[in-house]
Formats: sequence, C-alpha cells, structure tokens
Amino acid sequence: MRLECSGLNFAYPESETMVIQDLWFAMDGPGFHAVFGPSGVGKTSFAKLLANYRDRPQLPIQTSGIGTILYSYNLERLPGWSSTGRHLDRICPADRQDLKKELIDIFQLGPVLGARFSQLSMGQQNRMNLIRYLLQDFDLLILDESLANVDEKLRQTILLAVKELFSHKMFLYISHNLMEVARFCKDILVLTEPSREKPSKIVSGQDDTRISVLEKPSLDRIMLEVMSAF
Amino acid sequence: MLFRRIYQFMIVYAVFLAILLMVKKGLSLSDYVIPGLPLILETAVQMSAGFFTDVMDTLSVAILGQGISIFLAFFVGILGRKSSWAGSMIRVTAYNIQAYPIVALAPIIFILLGDGFLSRLLIAAMICYFPLLLSVLGVMAAPVEDIEHFYIATGRMRWQLEVKIRAFENLSKLTTVIAGSATLAMAGTIVAEFIAANAGIGYSIRIALYQSNLAAILTALFMIGIVISVYQGILETLGEMVKAKWGSENKGKLL
Repeated sequence: MRLECSGLNFAYPESETMVIQDLWFAMDGPGFHAVFGPSGVGKTSFAKLLANYRDRPQLPIQTSGIGTILYSYNLERLPGWSSTGRHLDRICPADRQDLKKELIDIFQLGPVLGARFSQLSMGQQNRMNLIRYLLQDFDLLILDESLANVDEKLRQTILLAVKELFSHKMFLYISHNLMEVARFCKDILVLTEPSREKPSKIVSGQDDTRISVLEKPSLDRIMLEVMSAF
Repeated sequence: MLFRRIYQFMIVYAVFLAILLMVKKGLSLSDYVIPGLPLILETAVQMSAGFFTDVMDTLSVAILGQGISIFLAFFVGILGRKSSWAGSMIRVTAYNIQAYPIVALAPIIFILLGDGFLSRLLIAAMICYFPLLLSVLGVMAAPVEDIEHFYIATGRMRWQLEVKIRAFENLSKLTTVIAGSATLAMAGTIVAEFIAANAGIGYSIRIALYQSNLAAILTALFMIGIVISVYQGILETLGEMVKAKWGSENKGKLL
C-alpha cells in the first residue's frame, strides 16, 4: 500500500489564495497515518481531494494497493426516521455481523442502539458514524475529526482496537490532538500554511499498539518535532 | 391547534364585523348598503344550513384539487431535482409559469370545459399547484450533504433514498406548505364558482352579490372561514403527528 503526492497545488475556484501549495510526501503500508496542522491549513480540503482524486486525473496523487477510499467526518448524520441500531443493521453486510457486534461493544454504543441519531450526544453520534464506515469495504479510510467529542480514555481504546482489528487497512487520521497523533500514528504529515513558505513534512510517530509501553521521552521528541514543523 | 385556528378566525371575523358596523354607524348608511346586526343574524339563521352544504361542496372540490396538485408537485419536483438540463428546464419553467396569475386563465377553462365540476377542480388544482411545486422543487433540489455523503461514498444512494432523506429533513417545511395550500385550493375553487360554475359557495356568493345581499355574503364568509379553519387545523394537526412520529427531533432544542 502506498500513497504518494508529488507537487499538489490547490485553490478553490475564483479564489487566488492557494489552500495547498507544492505538497510532496509518501506514506507506505497499512496502519494509522495522520495529517496534522493548525486550523485552516487545508487538512479537510486535502482529505476531500484525496477521497475523490480519481475524478480529477490531473491531480498529482498516486496510490498503489489502494482501491476504495472512504472519507468520514465529524458532522455527518444518520437519517432520523428509524433507530441507529436499525440503520446499522441495514448498512452492515451479512458477513460482518460479528464485526458489527464487536465494534458496538468497543465503541460502547450498545445501550443507545434503540435511540434515534438526534437523541445521541455528539460523541455518541461520531462513534456511531465511524462504526458504519468501518463496516464497509475500504482500503483507505480518512477520519476527519471522526472521534471529536469522545472522551480521551474511550478514544484511546477505540484507536487501539481499530488498529488491531483493521491492521491490513490504511487510515488517515486528521485530528488536532497532538499527543494522540504522535502516540498512535505511523507517519504524520504536518501541513503548513502556503504563505509561510515552509514545506510540509512527514514526521515519524510512535505508532503505539495495545501491547506497546509508553515511551515518554520519545513521545516528547516527536511532539516537539511536529510542533517545530509548522 | 384545531381550536386555536377556529378562535383566531372568530376574533378576526368579529373585528371585521365591528369595523363594518362602525362604518355603517359613522356614515349613517342604510340597511340596504350595510345591514344591521339583527338582519345579519336573521339571514344567518335562515341561510346557514344551505351555505354549509355549499361550503362542503366547495371544500370537497378543493380537497380533491389540492390532492391532485400535491401529487403533481411531488412528481414534477422529484423529476426536476437533478442538476441535469431536464431538471433545470423543469425548474425554470415552473418559476416562470408561477409568475403568471393562473386565475386569469379561468375563462379559457370554462370555455373549453363548460361550467361543471371539472372546471372547478382544474382551477383549484392549478392555483395551489405552483406554490407547492416551488417549495417541493426547493426541497428536492437541495442536497443534505451531512446525511447523503455516506450513501454516495459507499454506492448505496438510490433516487428513492435521496427523495426520502430530503423530504424527511424538510418535513416541517413540507407540512406547513401543504397545510397552507389548502387556503389556495379553497380560494381557487371559490373563484371558479364565482366566475361561472353552477354549484358551491362561490356560486351562492355570486347570487347574493346580484341581489346586493351583504348579510348573505357575510354569512357565507363566516361559513367559509369556519370550515377552512377546521380543515387547516386538521391538516396542521396531522402534520404535527407526522413530525412527532417521524421528525428528526433534537433533545437540545428543549434546553
């Protein structure tokens, strides 16, 4: 699995401001990779471009071993005409019923399966939304703040479980939580504002798993490296 | 909802009647121009039953016309929701036609179809169809990206699901427009009856007008107001029931 970008430039139509300028990077292998940077630096624009890059053949994005790319974000909603549990039943392929049950357990959503989406808290809504993506066929799943509003402890449990259950898939995790990105991700693409003329760079994260022991000095070094990259 | 509609109408009607009687008193007008309260009450007692039957006749045509226009509005609205050339053409045509006063076409319909039931039905349907169509087109042509994204990305989106999502997300708007179009359908039917039909409350008002019988006209207006208030109240109650059962209620709104 490889995701490569060689000199990507992007500006919205009728705007002279570049959102992404001369972006070069490569990410290899399955696992959790991250896109990090301050607000407004173009993380979501990049994620959307990547999710639909096949519709724009002129974009300098190349992939190998990656078929289906899905993009999930934290403002998505499920239709409100039936309970969230019924929605999950409908969109879950027949051969993934066990996975669905396991994910519901890990994401701690069992008690709210009978509720409508609008009745859930924001954290529950985001977890519910992420489950339905994880049940689909994908090779690369972009998680754009998909675990926002979820408490830190549960977020950590979810991230470690997803890494373990989907170890053969590639994830691109977009978050503003530096500690989390540094600790759980493999490659961290640090985006910088085009106006600052500082090239975006890849920083290697700690890529912790369930059995890893937290190495604080190494984590501090990674966080420092990320912070100094923008 | 239902009773609120009725007493709101009663208040408006009472204010209107009071103003009319003040004008009569202020300008010392005779009973022939503006009848006094006793004459109005006497006429009401005499003609209420007949006018009620006429209003129900008119209402039945209006309901049928409204039903037809709701069906057509959804049919065309669903067809015209796409950003294809056909969809754009349907939307542009609808916007242009609705700008034309449909009531002005009524004489042509009476010439072609005569002054029977069909003409009244057609005019009622035409008058409430275009405002309904514009609302339905507006709802159906606006994507609900937060919900639709998943279905599009995973290849699950079908036109039925798209319509269901958009209708559901705009349930409140659609039920309000449908309830509001009842007045338009009723107005359309009355106008049709007033112009050339041979039945209905519009026809009775026309006869009263030729006799300069303002007391009868006021009685007819009262009957129309009460019946349309009840009908709209029922529609709104049904809309509330639909919203309560299916609506995307948000507990945050309670706070």
